[in-house]
Amino acid sequence: MSTDTAAPAATARPPAEATPPRAGRAPRRGRRTVQQRNRPLWMLLPGGILMLLVIIVPFVFAIVISTLDLDMYTLRDWVSAPFIGLGNYIEAITSSSLLQSIWISVSFAVIAAVVTLPIGVAAALATQNAFRGRALVRSLFLVPYVLPGFVVGTFWHTMLQPHGIVDTVLGNLGIHTGLWLNGPLSYWTLIGVQIWSSWPFFYLLVLAGLQSVENEVHEAAALDGAGWWAKLRYVILPHLRGPIALALIISLLHNINGFTLPFVLFGVPAPADVNVLPVLTYVTSFQSFRFGLSAAMAVFSLILIAIPLFIYLKAVRLDTGDDRKEKTA
Amino acid sequence: MRSRFALGAVAGLAAIGLALTGCSSSGGGSNPSSTAVDGKGRTLTVYTGVSGLYPQQQKEWFSELQAQFKKETGATLAFDTFASSNDELTKIQTSVVSGQGPDVYALGTTFTPTAYATGAFVKLTDADWAKVGGRDRFVPASLGMSGPDAKNQIAVPLAQRPFVMAYNKDLLKAAGIDKPATTWDDFASQAKKLTTGGTYGVAVGYADNYDPWKFIWAMSQQGGNPILDLKSNKARLDDPITQKAYETYFGWLTEQKAVDPAAVGWKNPQAVAAFAAGKAAYLPMVSASSMEALDSSAVAGKYAYALMPTVTPGKTSNPSGGKAAASIVSGDNLVVASYSKNQDLAFAYINMVTRADMQTKEFKLLGDLPSNAKAADDLQKSTPIIAPIVDAIGKSVATPFSGAWGDTQLALTNVVVQSIPNLSSGSVSSSQLSQLLKTAQSTAQGSLDKAKK
Repeated sequence: MSTDTAAPAATARPPAEATPPRAGRAPRRGRRTVQQRNRPLWMLLPGGILMLLVIIVPFVFAIVISTLDLDMYTLRDWVSAPFIGLGNYIEAITSSSLLQSIWISVSFAVIAAVVTLPIGVAAALATQNAFRGRALVRSLFLVPYVLPGFVVGTFWHTMLQPHGIVDTVLGNLGIHTGLWLNGPLSYWTLIGVQIWSSWPFFYLLVLAGLQSVENEVHEAAALDGAGWWAKLRYVILPHLRGPIALALIISLLHNINGFTLPFVLFGVPAPADVNVLPVLTYVTSFQSFRFGLSAAMAVFSLILIAIPLFIYLKAVRLDTGDDRKEKTA
Repeated sequence: MRSRFALGAVAGLAAIGLALTGCSSSGGGSNPSSTAVDGKGRTLTVYTGVSGLYPQQQKEWFSELQAQFKKETGATLAFDTFASSNDELTKIQTSVVSGQGPDVYALGTTFTPTAYATGAFVKLTDADWAKVGGRDRFVPASLGMSGPDAKNQIAVPLAQRPFVMAYNKDLLKAAGIDKPATTWDDFASQAKKLTTGGTYGVAVGYADNYDPWKFIWAMSQQGGNPILDLKSNKARLDDPITQKAYETYFGWLTEQKAVDPAAVGWKNPQAVAAFAAGKAAYLPMVSASSMEALDSSAVAGKYAYALMPTVTPGKTSNPSGGKAAASIVSGDNLVVASYSKNQDLAFAYINMVTRADMQTKEFKLLGDLPSNAKAADDLQKSTPIIAPIVDAIGKSVATPFSGAWGDTQLALTNVVVQSIPNLSSGSVSSSQLSQLLKTAQSTAQGSLDKAKK
């Protein structure tokens, strides 16, 4: 994060101190260096301490715990729990269902995010132009998103019971699907319910993006005789690239970390097809009491979510804010 | 976010532990040998579950206990309650790591072996038992979950919650059955006979997170397989007796067709609801708390309780080594934290709440069945409807007392969870079942190997 901004500062400092400022560009550089030197960096201290306590200390502890054979037998005197190095990591990979869970979590997260995208975009476009009752429709669209995950899980669990509402309705149409909450179909149930509850998130971000498109752009496109498809493809969507990318990444992270929905929908022990990584970590920790092993699994999950997070940070270029300002100035 | 939260929570616990390790000591507190305890100016904290069925009555009970305790010891009694087993677990973990927290905990029996494994609770000496009224005070079977053996006990039984079956008297009578089945084979054939039109022989929650392992354990135990053989340190989940237990349990649906096919998605409350609506003749694996729902349902006055069958499937009497287990030993235990500075008060409190008069009062207010032998005996004589349930207290058999049991019961349940797609489509083949049992066996054995250290 800091490499881009640090580099020019580092190269600028020595000459400014070594030689007196020359006319032209040098004085400006020198002033900046002095400014930088006198920055009240100590003011970052409260935030820094908070970050240390909330993020870094627990993270370091988690890493430490993942190297210990910490379970119910050693919990009481955890400091002297046997150090087993990478033992937990090896056990997680070789003799638990971690790899299968990673595969389920990642594939579920990607499918749910990718399918949600066009639904959210379509809903945002549909409510972009004013029509009677638009406010009501916009509010209704948000209902699945504002419902707590526990509630969503509970009512879908009830509706998808064998011989439940969904089965009855489909049965009347001559469709017999089999079990929704166990077996191969449960994977698609998880994806379906996740899509149902998360598409308004895409809708919200895309709607915000749409509203930032100037009216002049619409007018110019209309004057040039662009049809709706051409307008969408060449005028609107390029404006939405940012919000869509952001929504995709956040949605991916959210799906990979999703615990409540699969936990409430399927319970534990989870059917093999929906044994997602957060549920596996939970069971290992709070039902089998293998705290070391579950910490190792949590570290794996951290690495897993760090990948899209890294891509996201690169994509939004949060780290180069100053450069961009300079370029536009 | 939950996994990160969990990670943070574990790490947070650890951080607290580091800070407080210096404070934790295993001794703590004085243990005067006299039974009268002077607790003036001191406070005893008891951690216990909140009653979902009778919250108001529980508050009354707490105030009564507080007044009585003040009278007997002069000490203040404080209750700290938890709403879910997750809250309970978190509190125990925090207290175990930090060495501070409540003095007395009310724990579920199946969680007691895990609590024992942490080594954070007082091992009861003969003198300690004397302080709580002696072992003789309790129904012998209820002591089964106090510890791995008589010399290593941490828990005093407080309330009993044995499992029995409810049956619809009218439906049994209509089918010409004069008394409920006492062997699992009879149970299956009666269930088949009782299935007619819209009513089924059995209501059972195949998708329940806890019930399935209790059936499998009971049938295996009756056939002579304790599931975990602690003497030889061997798990025996892949034993033919256990496979037969699963086949019997699944067979009610796949062979006798005596269970509503929707039951593959049911949890226990849905099975209770089906029975309460008069749509099933038998409702196995329920406790006394089901009375509340049944007495206000369509079957009020038409049902009775009986012991679940105690003869293993495929047999007319149990083989030698088989125990006629009517239920697991189930209920609440009281344990005293090793770090507690109020151990003398803790024992005085346990003595007070396990006395016959107090246990009878507790039953009347909260419906908790007594572990006190005299109170149980009185209750059996005075309340006929629950006589079979009180009978089941004495005929319960303890599950293996090992830290590995938690993983084992999870593995036993997992076999049912993973069989549900096949169960729903009509049959679970022997090869599928043995494959699942093989995996469960290796999980349980792995856990047992760790437990031995």
